[in-house]
Amino acid sequence: MNMIEFRNVTKIYEDNTAALKNINLIVRKGEFVFLVGPSGSGKSTFIKLIIKEVDETDGSIFIAGRNICNLRSSKIPQLRRNIGCVFQDFKLLPNKTIFENVAFALEVIGKPVYEIKIQVSQVLKLVGLYDKIDSYPHQLSAGEQQRVSIARAFVNRPPILLADEPTGNLDPITSEGIMKILSRINLIGTTVLMATHDKNIVNSMRRRVVELEEGEIVRDQKRGVYGD
Amino acid sequence: MVRPGYFFSETFSSLRRNFFMTCAAISTVAITLFIVGLFTVIVYDVMGVVNSIKSQVELAVYLEDGISSGLKDYIEQEIKSWEEVDSVKYVSKDQALERFKEQNEGSDILKEIEGNPLPASFEITLKDPEKIDRVALRFYDKDGNYIEGVNDVIYGKNYVNKLFSITAIIGVITIIIIAVLLLAAIVLIFNTIRLSIYARRKEIEVMKLVGATNWFVRIPFLFEGFLEGFTGGIISIILLYFTGNFLLIRAERLIVDTMRIKEMAIVGSGGVIIYVYIGLAVLGGLIGLLSSGIALRKYVKV
Ligand SMILES: Nc1ncnc2c1ncn2[C@@H]1O[C@H](COP(=O)(O)OP(=O)(O)O)[C@@H](O)[C@H]1O
Ligand SMILES: [Mg+2]
Repeated sequence: MNMIEFRNVTKIYEDNTAALKNINLIVRKGEFVFLVGPSGSGKSTFIKLIIKEVDETDGSIFIAGRNICNLRSSKIPQLRRNIGCVFQDFKLLPNKTIFENVAFALEVIGKPVYEIKIQVSQVLKLVGLYDKIDSYPHQLSAGEQQRVSIARAFVNRPPILLADEPTGNLDPITSEGIMKILSRINLIGTTVLMATHDKNIVNSMRRRVVELEEGEIVRDQKRGVYGD
Repeated sequence: MVRPGYFFSETFSSLRRNFFMTCAAISTVAITLFIVGLFTVIVYDVMGVVNSIKSQVELAVYLEDGISSGLKDYIEQEIKSWEEVDSVKYVSKDQALERFKEQNEGSDILKEIEGNPLPASFEITLKDPEKIDRVALRFYDKDGNYIEGVNDVIYGKNYVNKLFSITAIIGVITIIIIAVLLLAAIVLIFNTIRLSIYARRKEIEVMKLVGATNWFVRIPFLFEGFLEGFTGGIISIILLYFTGNFLLIRAERLIVDTMRIKEMAIVGSGGVIIYVYIGLAVLGGLIGLLSSGIALRKYVKV
């Protein structure tokens, strides 16, 4: 099953920057894909198109077989509930505890309290932070904060997890820990797409690598390395 | 299901955060609506006066002192023969004085009257109030003077017109003031909502990311705006209840005195005041919703 499919997708921003040019790509269910390329090559734009944070200029995007191009704005929340998102800057809420931060993702989509408690505990165990449940983000290391943000993205068990340079702010050893968690999430059937320009990580994982350059796919390799 | 507790706690922490802005916004709404309420009640009162004058349209024809009874009877027969006339009542000088004494009982004026300065008169009611001008004109000759035996003709039209023009002027001024204040109120509420949106921008970002619906994101802000407007409305009701009653009594007095209108003509706003109160509360809530709606449109993208 095709989880993510781009057909002739072009994205030109309002200021005429062509961020993506005629992209064709299929990501199948359960795949782990690295999206690599230098800064400005269009990686973040690729991810923003999937969650409809920005709209494509041309072409069509299919998520789990559904064309999301003409999705009504009232249907966008439903789409996003099925796609977890992790970012370089964590986006944790500083005045909420770890538990509350993760629970927040379920609260705002209207999950009942008892369900929230169970799911939050489970996912915090998955990322190895169950003992930090009552801490606040500033009491955690950067790596731990990123694990909380992964927990929040995954707590609703979405079939797709997107990560935009999740290790961009982390040292190599901490990054390795993050990659272990993403691998684990991928192993239980989740499709993972990770944008990065971290050479070591890509080379050590030996997964599918899609390389962007100035908005175009210049390489799509099965068990790839970062290149040069 | 979403717990309502979530919305409440979000709203109240927001109101606390922007305490002074919130106070400014609420007071402006309160003052605006107070003026709206006061104006509504005054207009209602004046309309009441106008209507009661209209319905009683009475033409008073004052007769010259020492008019011969022949001329008096002739005029009375003439009036009775006009088809527009419903009834004619003769009030003699003695009856007029009697009535005056009754109306001014206990007043110092009575001591100052010597003899009987009051004229005799005919009080005429019409079948059709609209014809009053035509009937009144019959007491003038072609040179514009009163016909023989008649000293003065008074009818309600002057009061009605005066009242109308005064009300119109007050109305225009009030509407301008209300418009300016309303705009200020909307801007102020808009601003408090803008601040709360700014304070919670990270939460909003996360909410959208994890798929919270637009309504879920908006409701706390709409509720905050509504609450500010509604509170302003409630305060305006309280203001109107206390000062309004006091001012209105003065205003009614003034109308009675300056217009020489019989006191019973004043209807009073007792019956409608409850609707005015409800209206103000609803209006306050709507102003709040509108203002926060505008802020959300501007600052929270889908
Ligand atoms: N909101 C935007 N408006 C205009 N241009 C943008 C916007 N976002 C990104 N871009 C441009 O699009 C290109 C691709 O950016 P981006 O997708 O962020 O690349 P990457 O994530 O690989 O660094 C860059 O040239 C960038 O300047
Ligand atoms: Mg980027």
